[in-house]
Amino acid sequence: MGLSKYRASIPEYRGDLPSPAEGDLKPYEVFIQLERGKPHTYAGSVDAADDQMALMFAREHFGRDQACAQLWVVPRSAIIRTDYERDLVFRLTDQDYRFAKGYPVGEKWKKFMSQKEYNDYKQGDIKDHF
Amino acid sequence: MDVLPSELKNPLVDLLLSVADDKFILGHRNADWTGLAPMLEEDIAFSSLAQDDLAHAMALYEMVGGLLGKRGDDVAYGRTAAEYRCCTLVELHDEFDWAVAIARQFLCDHYEQLRLARLADSAYTPLRQLAARLLAEERLAIGHADQWVVRLGRGTPESRTRIQSALDRLAPLCGGLFEPTGGVAALESTGVFPKSGGDMFDSWSNAIQNVVENATLRITLARPAPDAAGGRGGKHSEAFAALLDELAEVYRTEPGAAW
Repeated sequence: MGLSKYRASIPEYRGDLPSPAEGDLKPYEVFIQLERGKPHTYAGSVDAADDQMALMFAREHFGRDQACAQLWVVPRSAIIRTDYERDLVFRLTDQDYRFAKGYPVGEKWKKFMSQKEYNDYKQGDIKDHF
Repeated sequence: MDVLPSELKNPLVDLLLSVADDKFILGHRNADWTGLAPMLEEDIAFSSLAQDDLAHAMALYEMVGGLLGKRGDDVAYGRTAAEYRCCTLVELHDEFDWAVAIARQFLCDHYEQLRLARLADSAYTPLRQLAARLLAEERLAIGHADQWVVRLGRGTPESRTRIQSALDRLAPLCGGLFEPTGGVAALESTGVFPKSGGDMFDSWSNAIQNVVENATLRITLARPAPDAAGGRGGKHSEAFAALLDELAEVYRTEPGAAW
């Protein structure tokens, strides 16, 4: 399986290869939402000259190979971030009690779920209000 | 209208082939850019849009195949050059000049949008439904082409010179887009290809001029002569026969093969 014969006539460049105008391009981060109402998740990044170009590139890169409800593009420069070295993101002291582990709630939860009142509540009209 | 009256079959086949062949050949030309577009992101975007054109062509070939009792593949590949209905503009080889590729896409897509909008208003139900889907995707392609024309026009002196000369070179070929297909009057009077949306040339040239002005460029567009005879009647450029030989090479090796 070959490519088109016209490609044999691709102009050859002499000397240095022309490089893209990197100075004109800015990085954008891309977020995709697979279904309406679901969270937008990080998909990757594209380089583009401006917002509209970024959105167009994002659509062709990330919006085509899967069903996709919405795309977000964000200029990387607009993201406020912590510094790996300077900023503390996680705690250093032992604060295990913050994690939802070690609490024996499983049995209590099961018992609660099996209550008639809970079942009635689930079946009631009220559930439609949430 | 769910069933097409038999006297409209041939005119509709001709019209659908003009749309499908434009898209097939343009998609093929643009697919040649894979790996060569000026930026990585654009490379993927342009290839992806070329696949849209091929997908649109395929859907239309299937519809033509249904009308003729043939497979879509046989309609796409199993014809002689004179049986193709594409216009000269899509046959043009861009010689890997990005400005020419963009200008060609820009001029064709704006026409295609108007043609699909008319088909999306068709009295023939299956066609109306298909055209509505194609039209939605065509709008994305137009957004892409418009962006690039404006960027090149407002870009560097080199990009500006190159897009201007591409528009100058392609403008005289645009008349071929508007050349009527055989028996089109019957399709118009029965609403299969309704004359909705006003004069097509006016709408098209207004849309083109708006973008060209925004790009600070210029283009001279002349209303085509009504008796012009070219691609829609099977008269193609010299390059077309060679292009078709290459496109149909695999098909002709084993015409009945399943993919």
